[in-house]
Amino acid sequence: MDMHAEPRAGRMPSSFSPQHIEPHPLEFTGSGGEYFRVWLVNVLLGIVTLGFYTPWARRRTVQYFYGHTLVAGSPLEFTAQQRRMVFGFIVLLVLTAAYQIAARTGQDTTVALFIIAGAALAPLIWGSAMRFRLGNTRWRGLRLQFTAGWRQVYTASWPVFAIAALWLTLFYGLHALAPEPVAGASGRKLPQVTGAMWGLLALTLVLTVLCAIRLEYNYRSMLVLQSRLGTEPGRWKPVYMDFVKVWLATLGVFLLTVAVMGATVGAAFGGSLALLSGKTRGMGPWLFLLILFGIVFFTFMALLVSAPARAYREARMFQITWNQIGVSHMARFKCRLRARSFVALRIKNLVLTLLTLGFYRPFARVSEYRMKLESVTLHVKGGVDQLAGQLQRQQQNGVGDALADAAGLDLIG
Amino acid sequence: MTAAVPPPDSGSASAQAAGPAAPASSGAPQPVPARWFDGRSSQGRAVLAAIAPGPRGPELTLHPVGTDGGVPEHFAHDAVDWPEAWNPRRPPPRLAVDLGERGSLEIAGDGIARWHAALQAAGHRAGIAQRMQARWGVLAVVLLASVLLLVLFYRYGTPWLATQLTRAVPLGWETALARETLERMDGDLLKPSRLAPERQQALRARFDALARDVPTAPQRYAGYAPALRLEFRRGLGANAFALPGGTVVVTDGLAETASRRGLDDDAVAGVLAHEIGHVVHRHTTRTVVEQGVLNIGLGLALGDVSSLLSTGGALVTGLAYSRAHEREADCYALALMDRARLPTAPMADLLLAIAQEQREESKEKKNGASDSDTEKKARKDGPAGATGEAADVAAAPPRDAGSSPATRQEPAREESGDSAWMGLLATHPGTEQRAAELRAGHAPHCARP
Repeated sequence: MDMHAEPRAGRMPSSFSPQHIEPHPLEFTGSGGEYFRVWLVNVLLGIVTLGFYTPWARRRTVQYFYGHTLVAGSPLEFTAQQRRMVFGFIVLLVLTAAYQIAARTGQDTTVALFIIAGAALAPLIWGSAMRFRLGNTRWRGLRLQFTAGWRQVYTASWPVFAIAALWLTLFYGLHALAPEPVAGASGRKLPQVTGAMWGLLALTLVLTVLCAIRLEYNYRSMLVLQSRLGTEPGRWKPVYMDFVKVWLATLGVFLLTVAVMGATVGAAFGGSLALLSGKTRGMGPWLFLLILFGIVFFTFMALLVSAPARAYREARMFQITWNQIGVSHMARFKCRLRARSFVALRIKNLVLTLLTLGFYRPFARVSEYRMKLESVTLHVKGGVDQLAGQLQRQQQNGVGDALADAAGLDLIG
Repeated sequence: MTAAVPPPDSGSASAQAAGPAAPASSGAPQPVPARWFDGRSSQGRAVLAAIAPGPRGPELTLHPVGTDGGVPEHFAHDAVDWPEAWNPRRPPPRLAVDLGERGSLEIAGDGIARWHAALQAAGHRAGIAQRMQARWGVLAVVLLASVLLLVLFYRYGTPWLATQLTRAVPLGWETALARETLERMDGDLLKPSRLAPERQQALRARFDALARDVPTAPQRYAGYAPALRLEFRRGLGANAFALPGGTVVVTDGLAETASRRGLDDDAVAGVLAHEIGHVVHRHTTRTVVEQGVLNIGLGLALGDVSSLLSTGGALVTGLAYSRAHEREADCYALALMDRARLPTAPMADLLLAIAQEQREESKEKKNGASDSDTEKKARKDGPAGATGEAADVAAAPPRDAGSSPATRQEPAREESGDSAWMGLLATHPGTEQRAAELRAGHAPHCARP
């Protein structure tokens, strides 16, 4: 009888020296075509069930990706109970419907209450989402745990409240700075904008962005530091300035994209645009549809132009995070993701997704996940089994390890 | 250091299977070698996984292998989260089976195929998703079902839901919205009417007469009795529109076109009846609700494919509903005019005349340079009937379908429906067809009174 051999030769935890460090490149064994089938099934069942299949679809998706993600030769497991996922989905659906109805029937008070409650509860929701996700990620029968309490989550969320305060200040500041409105020629009151007001606005914007970066930094670091493996906490080395630098570089990429695309579009369509503007005059009846499509087109262009910058940011953040985190002194991650190739991949995926009206999306998802995942190598001191054993001795109730999910290989939501 | 690897022995497998702890049913397939991470010991334990049929489905028994031995562990059907075989032809190199609080089972290599075979042999009933995943036939059936469902959702589901939700919307909200809209339009799109007071009076009398003829209890919204009111404005060309909650606005252009074409007030009365139809059927509120239902519904169904597809679908479907509303309002006008013993043919002439004038206007604009624009503008803003446009054009109906002036809220008028695609993007059905129906006095799509 042919009994299988366990971990492949290169991965054998055979070391007798506890200081020996073993590299384990993470591996994805799924394929785009396979996931396309999974996704198509999900979409069709979603249509047939009027969208109520969504929580099952999510679970299948995560299970597909986890089941094909090999960390040191063993797949990840997603163990969330379907019941809980369905419950969460229904709660979300009811809230969304209530909000939509309130917004569309013009019940301003209710809408305002929804927004305020949503903002106030956002950290709590985030915290419980992370707790759920990490707690349900298992590897070799071991679970990860997210230990941050509500107080810690809210403390880390201070930039949110700082942003709210900033905008309130701006609102009242503009009121104080604004001169008396002057009646315009058409009889309407035209507000005047002074230099001081522009300055205040600019200052608020810069501070808001800094706060947003701080928020991202706080959350990411908390996610790693508060994730426990036994008594061993996650290890986190990036500093705030790293994040600020990534954002600045992202801004640079964005401006570059805008410049390049602007020049290209200008050169290619400069003539025809003038032609078009001459024609629009005769298109009176079409104007309504034209405006509608204009809005859609504008949103679409904004997404398109910002895509390289967003991909760049994603890649750099992934890199920074996965190069500098680990599990106490037992394990380290190294990442050699190249931002340039990731941006190129994202652009290719975007173009193909658009050309296929979205049907390329599963392939895109797999290719991006693969590039990110396979750029990461896990370095374990003394072998995987020793690590697992050590972790389990420290905590009895199945607290595990699956940092792979924590800071960027996210799939849910 | 203990070896993490289960003994790679083929001997122990058969020995175990033949041992006292062997699965009860002797015809069961060979047990599958696996590693059990039970969450207690530091490493995976080598086990043999035997799958046997149970009362609620296959059940799992793990038989320990090796020198340390131990008692077999039994798992009821519900204690195991039976994993899906994503691709039977190409299983992943490792398969993890979730055993809940009792850890997880890891199977490698060709063991995976044997695991699935054993599961099948034990009478495992795969879920619908899994069957679709593995069999093209099932996938095709569900594909057809989902297309059918989308059509049903569009044809019956959304209109039904819109009716139910619209019933809950109070009249007060509609009138508030109407007031707000009219105030905003008065700022830039509309000017005070310059129609002679006598003419206004006459039209108002016709409107009030029609309003008195409105059946007291409309079938769909019991107890919905908005106060119908007519307003005159200048602007937006030849147009009339209904605001929710009972206000109907007529532009000077409409009345002027009618008199220019030698049409009497029965023509305008027909348009007013159409607008009253919009009010009584609460089409504005329905549109708001329908668009909301479509956005949510299609967002859920197609959101994962692409937002472009789902918003595009919602838009096109919303326009189809808009055309249905226009037909409904036409039916209402036919019924109301019939009650009032008024002809509907003049209304048809008026619609065709306006469509033709619009087409000529846009053709003129297209051909002429910008100076013809200003000329046209001057003529448009000039006193009513100043230009001698022939009255006989209405007799020669235009070839291609233009659009109607009688919009409910938006002054959206689109040009020729040359292609079917343009028809999909129109807010109104083709004018020619509408005119023919109005002239005939009945339309096939109208419900019998």
